[in-house]
Amino acid sequence: MLLEVRDLQVEFRTRDGVAKAVNGVSYGVDAGETLAVLGESGSGKSVTAQAVMGILDMPPGRITGGEILFRGRDLLKLREEERRRVRGAEMAMIFQDALSALNPVLTVGDQLGEMFVVHRGMSRKDARAKAVELMDRVRIPAARERVRQYPHQFSGGMRQRIMIAMALALEPALIIADEPTTALDVTVQAQVMDLLAELRREYRMGLILITHDLGVVADVADRIAVMYAGRIVESAPVHDLYKAPAHPYTKGLLDSIPRLDQKGQELYAIKGLPPNLMNIPRGCAFHPRCPIARDLCRTDVPPLHKVTEVTEVTEPDVADRGSACHFWRECLHG
Amino acid sequence: MAEAILEVGGLVKHYPLTQGILFRKQIGAIKAVDGVDFTLHRGETLGIVGESGCGKSTVAKMLVNLERPTAGSIKYKGEDLTRLTGRALKAVRRNIQMVFQDPYTSLNPRMTVGDIIGEPYDIHPEVAPKGDRRRRVRELLDVVGLNPEHINRYPHQFSGGQRQRIGIARGLALRPEVIVADEPVSALDVSVQAQVINLMDRLQNEFDLSYVFIAHDLSIVRHISDRVGVMYLGRIVEIGRDAEIYDHPTHPYTQALLSAVPVPDPAARDRRERIILTGDVPSPTNVPSGCRFRTRCWKAEDRCAQEVPVLAVPAHLGDPTGPAAHDSACHFAEAVSIRRSAPGQTVLPEPTP
Repeated sequence: MLLEVRDLQVEFRTRDGVAKAVNGVSYGVDAGETLAVLGESGSGKSVTAQAVMGILDMPPGRITGGEILFRGRDLLKLREEERRRVRGAEMAMIFQDALSALNPVLTVGDQLGEMFVVHRGMSRKDARAKAVELMDRVRIPAARERVRQYPHQFSGGMRQRIMIAMALALEPALIIADEPTTALDVTVQAQVMDLLAELRREYRMGLILITHDLGVVADVADRIAVMYAGRIVESAPVHDLYKAPAHPYTKGLLDSIPRLDQKGQELYAIKGLPPNLMNIPRGCAFHPRCPIARDLCRTDVPPLHKVTEVTEVTEPDVADRGSACHFWRECLHG
Repeated sequence: MAEAILEVGGLVKHYPLTQGILFRKQIGAIKAVDGVDFTLHRGETLGIVGESGCGKSTVAKMLVNLERPTAGSIKYKGEDLTRLTGRALKAVRRNIQMVFQDPYTSLNPRMTVGDIIGEPYDIHPEVAPKGDRRRRVRELLDVVGLNPEHINRYPHQFSGGQRQRIGIARGLALRPEVIVADEPVSALDVSVQAQVINLMDRLQNEFDLSYVFIAHDLSIVRHISDRVGVMYLGRIVEIGRDAEIYDHPTHPYTQALLSAVPVPDPAARDRRERIILTGDVPSPTNVPSGCRFRTRCWKAEDRCAQEVPVLAVPAHLGDPTGPAAHDSACHFAEAVSIRRSAPGQTVLPEPTP
C-alpha cells in the first residue's frame, strides 16, 4: 500500500467550540490506483487530504489521533524539514482554484522551475528548460513563449493544466486532486480529467480524487470512499457501489440524480441538512436524515462493517467493501 | 401552446472597452450577448444552458432590468421593457423577479429574514399594506418550507439550502408571473439541490409561474425544463423541447457538450463515445467571423468562416415533423442517435449513417 490513513482524527478549535472535522478516517491507495473520496461540504474530505499533505492550518486545526503511513513511514512523526522533502517530491496536490493557488506576480515558468531549483538544486536556466518540457507534457500550446506569461494570462483550463504540470514536476508517487475540475466548464473538464488519467497511468501514480460529483467519480475512479460528517460511511470498488450501495446516504445521493424516467415527478431528496460539526448527532451521524433509522442508530455509532454478501447485481468479487450502517444488508438488498 | 409571456428579440449587450483617461475612446467591445431571441410561454420552464462566459447570466440580468440592453427588445405581454422608464417600468418589473446563484452573497447579512423578504414591499407598497406585511412574510416562509417563527433571524443562522429558500421567498413576495433563476442550485450541496428543485417545481404549479432557469448542470436543466436553449459565446445555437435537445441534438456544440458530461454510471465508462473539444472558448472581445463555434468545431469548412448560420430549423434534415427538426444555428446540422444506459440519462451520441 502506497498510502494508508489509519483512524485519523482532526478537530478545529474555534471561538464557538470544537468542530470535529475528521472522526476516525481510514483509507488506502495503491500505486497506480485512483481512489475517489466523495462527500459534501463539511464532510471532512478536504481536511483529511490536507492532513495527508501536511498543509493543514494548525492552529486552529489539530490532529488528535491516527497515523498517516506513506511508503511505510508515519508522516505524522516526521520533523517538518523531512515532511517538506516528501511534500512536492513524493506527493503533490492539485487544488480546485488554480488562480488563487498560483502566485500572481511570478511567471508560470518561474513557478514551475522553482520546483527543480528547490528540490533538485538545478540552475535557473535548466529549470526553465524543464518548465517548458512540462508545459508541453500537459499540452499547453506554444509552451516556449507562454512560459514567460503570468497566471492571469491563461484561461481556466490552461491554469489547471499548469497546476497539473506543477504537481507532476518531480514525478511524485501520489497525487491528491481536490475538486480539480469543479471550477471548469464541462467541455474543459473532460479535457483535464482525460489528461490527468493519462498521466497517472503513464507514471503509475496513486491518485486521490476529492470530489462531490458522482459523474466524475464514475468516469475515473477504481475505488470510492464516501464521507459524511467526518467519517467514511461506505467504501467499495466503484462498480459495486453504483450498482448496489450499502449505505442509505450513498443510496440517497445516487437516487437524487435526476433521471429521465422521472421527468415531471418529484426528485428524490434526502431530507434535512448535513449536520453541524460542532454538534454531530449521537449514534450514526446520518440517522436524523435516514429513511431506515431505528433506535439502535440513535445510540450506537456503527463501525465500518465488512460487506460480505453478494447481491445478484454485484460482482462475485466483493473483496474489501465496507459500510458504516447497522442495517447495511437491508440497504444492499432494498 | 400557452400565450407568450416574455418575447425576447435581437437582444444585444456590448460592454465598451475604452482606452485613455482624459480622452476616452472606444477601442472595442465585449460582446457578452450578441443577438438572442426566445419566447417564454405562460407556465413554462425555459432552461438556458451554456458554459461560463456564454452570456447566460447577462441575459438574466437584462430580463430583470439590472442591465440595460445595447439593442433588442424584451416584451412582457407585448409591452417592450427596454422602451419603458419611470413608473411604467417599475410596474412591469414587479412581475419579473430573480433568484440569484449564491445565497451567501445575495442576502444582506445585517438584515433579518423578515426585512429581506419584506423589502420588496417597500419598493412596491401597493402590493401589501404596511400592517399586513409581517403576516405575508410569515406566509412566504411557510410556503418555501421554513419555520415562520424564524422571521427575526439573520441569514448566517441558516444553511445554504435554507438561504436559497429565503432568496426564493423574496422572489415570490410581489406575486410575480416570471421568475428568472440564475444557477439557483449550483452553490448548494448535492443532497440539498434536489430539495430546492422540488420546491421550485411545486411553487410553479401553485402560483402559475413561468421560469427562465439558467444553469450549467445539464441533468438538472433537463429535469425541470419544458424547453431548452443552448448558448455559446453570446448566442443561442440550438433551442427546442427538452427531448429534442437532449435526444436529438443537431448542433455540434450541443453534441459535444452533452457527450462531455460525466455520466454517473461506471459501466458506461468504456462504451461512451465522447467528443472532446479542443481549445478554449474564444474571447468575447474577438468573436470569430461567421459561425462563432467554428474555431473548435470538427465539421468547420470555409463556409462557416464567411456565413453566419441563422437559428432556424435546418432545411436539409428531412422530416419536418421529426424530433431533429428544431432550431439549430449550424450550416451542417446533423441528426445523431443517442444511446442510453441505465441509470438516468447517459448520452452516447453517434452520427447516424
